[in-house]
Amino acid sequence: MGIVDSPNGRSSHKKGKRRSKRIGFHLDMTPMVDVAFLLLTFFMLTTTFSKSNTMEINIPPEKSEVKVVESNVMTVRIADNVMAYCSLGNEAPRKIPLYDSRDNNQLALSGELRQLLRQQTAANPKLVIVVKISEKAKYKHLVDIIDELNLMKIDRFSLDDYTDQDALEIQRAI
Amino acid sequence: MSRIKAKRVGFRIDMTPMVDVAFLLLTFFMLTTKFRPPEVVKIDLPSSHSQVKLPESDILTVTVGGDNTFFMGVSSQQSRVKIFNAVVKPKLQAAGLSSAAVADSLKKFKLAENFRVERDELDKFVVMARFADQKLRPVIRADANAGFDAVNHVIKVYKKANLLTFNLITVLEREVR
Repeated sequence: MGIVDSPNGRSSHKKGKRRSKRIGFHLDMTPMVDVAFLLLTFFMLTTTFSKSNTMEINIPPEKSEVKVVESNVMTVRIADNVMAYCSLGNEAPRKIPLYDSRDNNQLALSGELRQLLRQQTAANPKLVIVVKISEKAKYKHLVDIIDELNLMKIDRFSLDDYTDQDALEIQRAI
Repeated sequence: MSRIKAKRVGFRIDMTPMVDVAFLLLTFFMLTTKFRPPEVVKIDLPSSHSQVKLPESDILTVTVGGDNTFFMGVSSQQSRVKIFNAVVKPKLQAAGLSSAAVADSLKKFKLAENFRVERDELDKFVVMARFADQKLRPVIRADANAGFDAVNHVIKVYKKANLLTFNLITVLEREVR
C-alpha cells in the first residue's frame, strides 16, 4: 500500500529527529480517498442522461380533405369491449379480439389482427387504414395500435372520430 | 548512483494529483446530478417499440392522469410568465386578489413544472403557450389507463392550435418480435 505523502518536501531529509514542530507530518489519506472514489463511482453510475422515448405523430390540419376510393379504405374500429372491428370498404365488419386472451400483460395485439393487417396491406399497397377508437376505450389501445403499425412499417393510416354511425356499424359485425 | 536501489518495500507514491482529479469529478457529478422532480400524479406510461428520443428544450407537455385529469407544463420560464400574464393573472384579479398576492403566485407559477388545468380551459392555455413560443414542441404524456376521450380531447386542442406534429411519451418495450 502506498502511503499518501503530504506535499511538504522536507520530510525526506529530516528523518523525524526533532519532532517538536509539525513539519512534514504524514497523514494517511487512504480512507478519505476510498470514500471519495466510492461516491464518485456512485454518482457516475447513477447519472443517466434520461430522455424519454416518444412516438411521433402527424395529424392533418383541420380543413384538409384527401379523397380515397372506398375500396382502398380499411376501417378498424375499437369499441369499449376490447374488440376490434375491421371492415374493408363498405363490408360488414369482422370482429377480432384486440389482444390474445392468453396474453395477460396485453402488450401485443392479437395474432389474428396482426395477420389481417399484414395481409391486407400486402394485397393492396394503396390501402389506407382508418383507426376509429371509441371514447370509452383506453389510451393504451391507441398506443398499441400505432406501435404495431409502425412495427409493420405501415405508414398509411389515420385517426378519425368514432361516431354514432360507427356504433351502429359494429352492430352488424360477423 | 552510489546508493543501492532498495527493494520496493513500503515505497511512497504521491497520490495528491489523483485525489485532486477524483474530487473534481466527484464535485462535478454531485452538482450536476439532478434528481427526478417529484411527480404531481403517478403516470403509468404505455409501452411501445419506438426509440425516438424526446427533445430537450421547448417542450409543451400535457399530462393526462389515470383519472382523466389534465396537467400542463412548459419547459421555459419565459413562456410560463407569458402564460401567467395572459391567462392566470386576469382570473386572479377578477377574484379580487391584491397585486402582491398576484406577484407571489407568479413566482410560484414560474417554478412549477406542471399545473392542473381544467378540461375546458386547456385550449386557452395551449393557444397561449403557442403564442409565447412558436418553436414549442407539443408532447402528450398520458397514463396507459387514461380514457381515450381525454387524450382525444388533447389531440383536438393541438389540432385547433395548429400543432400538427406531436409526440406521445412511451416507455421502451423490451420484447422483440
